[in-house]
Amino acid sequence: MSRKQLAFSTILIVILAFLPLVLKRDNIINLALLVLLYVSLASSWNILGGYAGQANLGHAAFFGVGTLATRLLWLSGWNLFPSLLAGGLLAVAFALLIGIPAFRLRGVYFAIGTLALAQILYITVGNTLPMISSLPAQNLATYQLVPRYYIFLGLALLTIGTAYFLVNSRLGLGIMAVREEEDAAESLGVSALQHKLLALSVSAFFAGLTGGAFAFYHVGYYPQLPFSPEWTFDSMMMAYIGGAGTIVGPIIGAVFFVVVREFLVLKLAEMHLIVFGVLFILVVLFLPGGLVGAWGQVQKALARRSRQKEIKLSLTRAS
Amino acid sequence: MLKIEEVDAYYGDLQALWGISMQVNEGELVALIGPNGAGKTTTLRVITGLLKPASGNIHFYGHNLDKVAAHKIVELGISQVPEGGKIFTGMSVLENLELGAFVASARKVKDQSLRWVYEIFPRLEERKNQRAGTLSGGERQMLAIGRALMSKPRLLLLDEPSFGLAPLLVEQIFAMITEINRQGVTVLLVEQNVRAALELAHRAYVIENGRIVGQGTGDALLSFDSVRSAYLA
Amino acid sequence: MLEPLVQNLAFGVLVGALYGLAAVGLSLVFGVTKFLNVAHGELLMFGGYASFWVFTLLGVDPFLTLASTIIFLLLIGLILYKLLFARMVKLTESIKIQNTLLVGFGLSLVLQNLALRLWTADTRSITTLYSGSVFTILGVRFPIVRVASLVIALVTLLALDLFLRRTYTGKALRATVENWEAATLMGIDIQRVYLLSFVLGAALAGVAGCLVSVGYSIEPVMGLNWTLKGLIVMVLGGLGSIMGTFVRGLILGVTESATGFFLSLTYREVVGLVLFVLILVFRPQGLFGTKEG
Repeated sequence: MSRKQLAFSTILIVILAFLPLVLKRDNIINLALLVLLYVSLASSWNILGGYAGQANLGHAAFFGVGTLATRLLWLSGWNLFPSLLAGGLLAVAFALLIGIPAFRLRGVYFAIGTLALAQILYITVGNTLPMISSLPAQNLATYQLVPRYYIFLGLALLTIGTAYFLVNSRLGLGIMAVREEEDAAESLGVSALQHKLLALSVSAFFAGLTGGAFAFYHVGYYPQLPFSPEWTFDSMMMAYIGGAGTIVGPIIGAVFFVVVREFLVLKLAEMHLIVFGVLFILVVLFLPGGLVGAWGQVQKALARRSRQKEIKLSLTRAS
Repeated sequence: MLKIEEVDAYYGDLQALWGISMQVNEGELVALIGPNGAGKTTTLRVITGLLKPASGNIHFYGHNLDKVAAHKIVELGISQVPEGGKIFTGMSVLENLELGAFVASARKVKDQSLRWVYEIFPRLEERKNQRAGTLSGGERQMLAIGRALMSKPRLLLLDEPSFGLAPLLVEQIFAMITEINRQGVTVLLVEQNVRAALELAHRAYVIENGRIVGQGTGDALLSFDSVRSAYLA
Repeated sequence: MLEPLVQNLAFGVLVGALYGLAAVGLSLVFGVTKFLNVAHGELLMFGGYASFWVFTLLGVDPFLTLASTIIFLLLIGLILYKLLFARMVKLTESIKIQNTLLVGFGLSLVLQNLALRLWTADTRSITTLYSGSVFTILGVRFPIVRVASLVIALVTLLALDLFLRRTYTGKALRATVENWEAATLMGIDIQRVYLLSFVLGAALAGVAGCLVSVGYSIEPVMGLNWTLKGLIVMVLGGLGSIMGTFVRGLILGVTESATGFFLSLTYREVVGLVLFVLILVFRPQGLFGTKEG
């Protein structure tokens, strides 16, 4: 990371850290919290989908499993952090259930396996827990928004931080090598299976933690909701529009998503999913680097333009 | 009829062919020999359009082949028997042959072509309704060649027809190839089995590491010392 | 008594025919192009709505709407292929798989929400004069509409089978499935074969959708379920033959019914998916019949 980037990130983190202390308005804190949730979700999807190149069509399963485990444990008396951890680990377990057999083979297995898993959970949870899960009275009484905000902030930082360190490590290099040319990587001694499973585990773990935070945050929700395919789609859409396979991409994607959605919901109710869907498809087909990639291209074009101007100037001066 | 001039070809960033130049005249049986990985199959792929050359020209009766789409090559009169035959194993022998005559011009004379192929390969007629996957190695190769002949090609490209076959079968296949050539089909034969190829061919080119390193008549090359020591030991 | 069970199984067979039909469309496209079109169910859904609206607005008998629905879906398939999937044909294997899944997933969400926007989330169903008619054999009731659907599904698949086995184009398609390079050497234009298979797949989805709208009901969110049904049937025994896929569709239908009868409705909803995951976990080579799918 360059010094400029480090400075910028630090300032951003400080702003976010002090946000609830300065702006005491609940709706702003809620909005920021939502963005942070999406940052975690998109970033976790990105680790597997963007960096490891494995399309995960069932990310909602990991998210949902986290919500389920954490909600149940926390409401039955466990402390928060063990509950969150349990959510994350349970998500990893489900992920490996599909990942271990599916990753041995090439092709679509993993994607449809996770898709099927998410649907199984969605239907089963919907049938076995159809009632709203509400916080019991004593939790309601002690409910505070601000600590929850910090949980999400911490989680987002943890997810991004882990992604950053993973990507810049040897393991990260291996993961990306497997994405690009699995055969070549294998011949160099990089175990495709292990690296894919690693990316999967990290991805599922953070999705599960985010789910746990979700369960801690919401006063009342239908247990089936987090398993809905919309969560999967939103995650991959944010990662791609922002820039799949980059650290910053999911962050930008999450902000973009929340901001544009608020705007669209005002003007064109219900169209926002169609708009995002079309945008997503366009990005996958034409702009795989997302906004981050586009920005990079713009910078390069500008740099080229200024260099050409310099060359022209020096030529005219010479003559 | 076929002229390859200074062709370079790449697989991605990896250069596979350097300045390949070759010529095949009408009626000839030309062999392209060389060790494994020398670029023999690559050269064929460039001719049939499965791989586009980075530079150079390929002329066939005046047509510029490097500008022609892969599936149109057959219409021009070039037919290839790919490495391993690549027959459609789930389909019957007859269906495989019918597909060989897929192009409109060949479809019209399908029955005639079929009779011709059955003449050369009577075994195929015997097994015409069998699933191609149940054929033996030698029969598969015959089917692959027969299928290629169904389009009534002017130029037949053969990629290692002897591969994986027992010596007796190899002799048979090569005898059939000679016969096909005698009947007027020009042949470009890519082979690792150098002796057999050179005995058959009118002329031959030697390719190594993506470059043509020698050429001459079949007999001349057979007696050439370096060829003997490298390939005929 | 035995009767409720047999009744249940009869219903299972009838719906299984449609599962088989959905599966054939999906596997046709997958076999030829190696794209797994996860928006297949949405195409089916659109087929259902096409029939519904032609029936509702123009009063055409729903089985006759098959014609218009097929044409509609052929067009949609053509447009979607040219617009989206044609671009991805030339990509390298792993990126191609990844991107086609993503685009398909995105497409399914767009189509789903488009339908929601256009036609609301209400469940629709086609009711005609003969909708309630039933004929009874040995005490088991067979709704005429659903039996007709089974027959139509069967006929459609037989026609497809004939096309694939008797026509040159059909053989070209099968050849492409086996070995696209060899097919190219025969003069077969792979791009056109891909297009044809995709469009045919869409048409098959349309037929299935029409039959679903007549015998059952349709709603904008039904797509994913049907895509998964098709996937499950595909997976139950490899790519196989068309008729084989049809039979496996029947098997899935019957399995679901039996599960619902002996266990509960919840289990019935997920039994197929659970089977799918189990096959994936324990015998992944059983999926699609080949190791590489």
